[in-house]
Amino acid sequence: MDKTTILYTKNTLLLILLITISSCSKDTPEVVNEEELITTVELNFSTQGEPDQTVRWETEAANSAEIVLKSNTEYDVQITFLDESDPSDIENINAEIIEEADEHQVFYEFSGVSVTYGQGTSDALDSDQNPVYINSIWNTSDANSGVVRVFLIHEPTTKSSTTRDGFGGETDVSVDIPIRIIEE
Amino acid sequence: MIKSFFKITVLVFFLKGIPLCSQNCDFILSGTIKDLHDGSPIYGAVIRIEGSDVFAQTQENGSYILKALCPGSVVFLIEHAECNSVRKKVSINANATLNFELEHHINALEEIIISDNQLKVLNGNAKESRLNADQITRFSNQSLADALTTLAGVSSLKTGNAIAKPMIHGMYGSRVGIIANGIRLRDQEWGPDHAPNIDLNAFQSVQLVKGAAALKYGGDTPGGIIVLSPHKLILRDSLFGQTIINTATNGWGGSLTSKLMKTTSNGYYVNGQLTAKRFGDLSSPEYVLSNTGMKEMNISFKLGRSKISKGWELNYSRFQNETGILRSAHIGNIQDLLRALKEDKPLRIEPFTYRINAPKQQGLHQNIHLIYFNQFNDELKWKLDYNYQVNSRKEFDIRRGVPLDVPAIDLRLQTHNVLGSLQWKKGFNWEMELGINALLQDNYSDPNTGVKRLIPDYIKTQLGSYLVGSYKPSNSFHWDWGVRLDHVGWDVQKYYNISDWKKRNYNSIFPQFEVDNVGTQILVNPTVNFLNFAAQTGISIELSEQFNTSFSYVLSQRSPNASELFSDGLHHSLATIEFGSLTLDKESSNKFLFSLTKTQGKLKGAIEPYFSKINNYIFIAPKALQQTIRGAFPVWQYDATDALLWGVDAVLAYEFSDRLNLDINASYTHAQDMKNELPLINIPPFNSSQSIQYSSPKKRFDIKVMHHFTATQNRFPDLNFSVTTLQEDGLIEQEVDVSTPPSAYQKVDVFFSLYLGNINKSKTSLRFMFYNITQSKYRDYLNRMRFYADEIGRNVQVQLVLSY
Repeated sequence: MDKTTILYTKNTLLLILLITISSCSKDTPEVVNEEELITTVELNFSTQGEPDQTVRWETEAANSAEIVLKSNTEYDVQITFLDESDPSDIENINAEIIEEADEHQVFYEFSGVSVTYGQGTSDALDSDQNPVYINSIWNTSDANSGVVRVFLIHEPTTKSSTTRDGFGGETDVSVDIPIRIIEE
Repeated sequence: MIKSFFKITVLVFFLKGIPLCSQNCDFILSGTIKDLHDGSPIYGAVIRIEGSDVFAQTQENGSYILKALCPGSVVFLIEHAECNSVRKKVSINANATLNFELEHHINALEEIIISDNQLKVLNGNAKESRLNADQITRFSNQSLADALTTLAGVSSLKTGNAIAKPMIHGMYGSRVGIIANGIRLRDQEWGPDHAPNIDLNAFQSVQLVKGAAALKYGGDTPGGIIVLSPHKLILRDSLFGQTIINTATNGWGGSLTSKLMKTTSNGYYVNGQLTAKRFGDLSSPEYVLSNTGMKEMNISFKLGRSKISKGWELNYSRFQNETGILRSAHIGNIQDLLRALKEDKPLRIEPFTYRINAPKQQGLHQNIHLIYFNQFNDELKWKLDYNYQVNSRKEFDIRRGVPLDVPAIDLRLQTHNVLGSLQWKKGFNWEMELGINALLQDNYSDPNTGVKRLIPDYIKTQLGSYLVGSYKPSNSFHWDWGVRLDHVGWDVQKYYNISDWKKRNYNSIFPQFEVDNVGTQILVNPTVNFLNFAAQTGISIELSEQFNTSFSYVLSQRSPNASELFSDGLHHSLATIEFGSLTLDKESSNKFLFSLTKTQGKLKGAIEPYFSKINNYIFIAPKALQQTIRGAFPVWQYDATDALLWGVDAVLAYEFSDRLNLDINASYTHAQDMKNELPLINIPPFNSSQSIQYSSPKKRFDIKVMHHFTATQNRFPDLNFSVTTLQEDGLIEQEVDVSTPPSAYQKVDVFFSLYLGNINKSKTSLRFMFYNITQSKYRDYLNRMRFYADEIGRNVQVQLVLSY
């Protein structure tokens, strides 16, 4: 039974070794910088004779102020996607979207209000000259209130559709912003 | 001299030949002698008639022939080197075929290879099924889970076609252990979308043990264990090998696997094996499943020496694969999911290609294993295993503004495993084994992915000790038992979003874990410990020559895995956010298994009911909707309940003649969450497979037609949620049905095997396999891609097997 004792000693030594190794703690892991994060959608509306209007949808609050537009008016609309997860280093994602214009599409869906939109003067175009609608022109009609759903679509199956389903692809951004159109 | 312990099981089936004139001594007896466990032929066994000089020796294919026999009652003596002789009384009155299955052991090797004997002893009662070498060959270009689903009670949980996890009695992942070469595979088994990183071709037999009876390998697998064993060694000078070439029309690909083994009479052996697979996009009956190609390249190498009293072995294996995930299954939010559900075809169908794009998975698993064993005396021996495994796993998503070669998940899991065991045998009756198992596991999650870690960095330690034994006073009675105690410790470093940490109230439950605030995140250092106890006992009794019965009870305890405790992230294929839970406790399962087997006669079969009650059963369920910039997301969180699972597995075989056989396998599982009074999710519905096989005279060819039936799962929890869609006049809610299982389906496979005999000294066989020959269009409840696409359509596979 001597050998058994030796065996046990061996096993015990081994375990002690393992426990020693395991008690060495690991290095503190680096914090991960989320690279594709979009935290904020900012919409800027401008029209002649009016002060600019900006609404922001922020992840933290998960909502946004109401957009108030005048009826039968044309607006120049600039959309900006931001990563504000680190307040000391706010990133504007628009440049990336414009660079990968073929893989991206901004799309607006309206409910309760009647708004049409088209290519803006400083809009980005993809390789087939389709507008990305980073910059767009909105035309409002009658006064009413409702919701606009703002989409950023990644790798859409087509770049020319009039419905969200028609574009296919994956949704990178989908936020609902209340909108009210008041009498001119 | 070691007293070799072995049992012989004799399966005799008499088949009446054409009666010849009586009293003529010209009867012929022939048959094969095969290994009981893996069906491999036993070479060089001597079969003789006691008291005469009539004898024969088995050929390399295990066959023997005895000619010029006189009618009457004789006693057969079957002998094989290193085995005790076996006697069987036989009365001869016609030409007959007598097949024997021996429990084939080579004493010296029993210690170093995970011996079937050892396992058999450890769980003589828990129901065990196995795949033999021929079945493994048939599945050589498929996965382990695919091969195992041919056994009753096993299903596979799939993500597409190439990623398949074996599921036993409705349990998978951490609840099922995979043992390769005597050591548990450690490859991030927790994820439902991770297939085991193992090459089936490197093994000679696969055993399935339902119930966690093999406590040597762990006491935490209530589903069961799968034991992969390598080729058995022969202690003589020999060189042999096998090459399998497959080509398949679905995916326009194929595989090549080749192995070579050299053994010498002084105990040295060396073994090498290589497998390569490549497939392009697979096809359903109606369309191409875009981005479902795969490639795989595996090698393994073994070197060892075995003498009767001691031996050693060094083993290295490397598994590497890349698997595409259906492109259409990558979605951004639940509105995208709703759109996919409304369509009956995937939203992206591209022309066939071999190219594998994101989303895809890359796995690399390497394994180094050292074994040493020595023997004190006839009764006592010890064995030491050291095993190091490193598993890296990368997952690539469709991403914006990130180079294509940057993965979204990049994990490296290293595991050291030491297993020391002491075996004691007393005569034929008693056997015992005492062992200590230590494990050290280190997970590293690369921060350069630019995506929050799904699984954090951690160190896990496990220290276990087991004592198992068996008592077998005769061939007709067997009792076994075992106990095991494990301590599991986690030391984790994880960043939580401060808002999540507070929302879950962890800041007041676990303030001691908090380390540092970094911006919007908090670094915490949870240390969690579990003490798990496992026990099992069982008996098996031979009721008569035809019937056996067995009963066993298994208590297993499992501590929550890394995913259940800590997972934190977005799943792109289901648009869900998954959260682990720090408050989970260990899971305890009480499982009872019963079996009644008829082993002889034209009709053979087994019925195996089981019942298990699991306290603190860990599962994931939707908790709430979280508002994100991609819209509302369902948040799924791990939680615990009490679960009750029961079911029945049944097999039936009927031999119409020596050429025509019918086989039926069926299983049913019933699983209920008792606290919430709901069925459990992802439980296999009733399924059965029935096949009829015809073998030509002299076994020149055989043909097998197999029909599969899978019922609709009517027991499922309703986990549907709704999404608001915008219409002209406002927002409307639409239900997203992720719960309703797909309809029942059937499919037919046909196999045609041609045995070409010896060509250039190699045994050659050619096989034509037609899977889903009728182009049945169906979706499977256990496939996570069922929301997006149909299962694959017809596949014609040609397989050439050369053995030399």
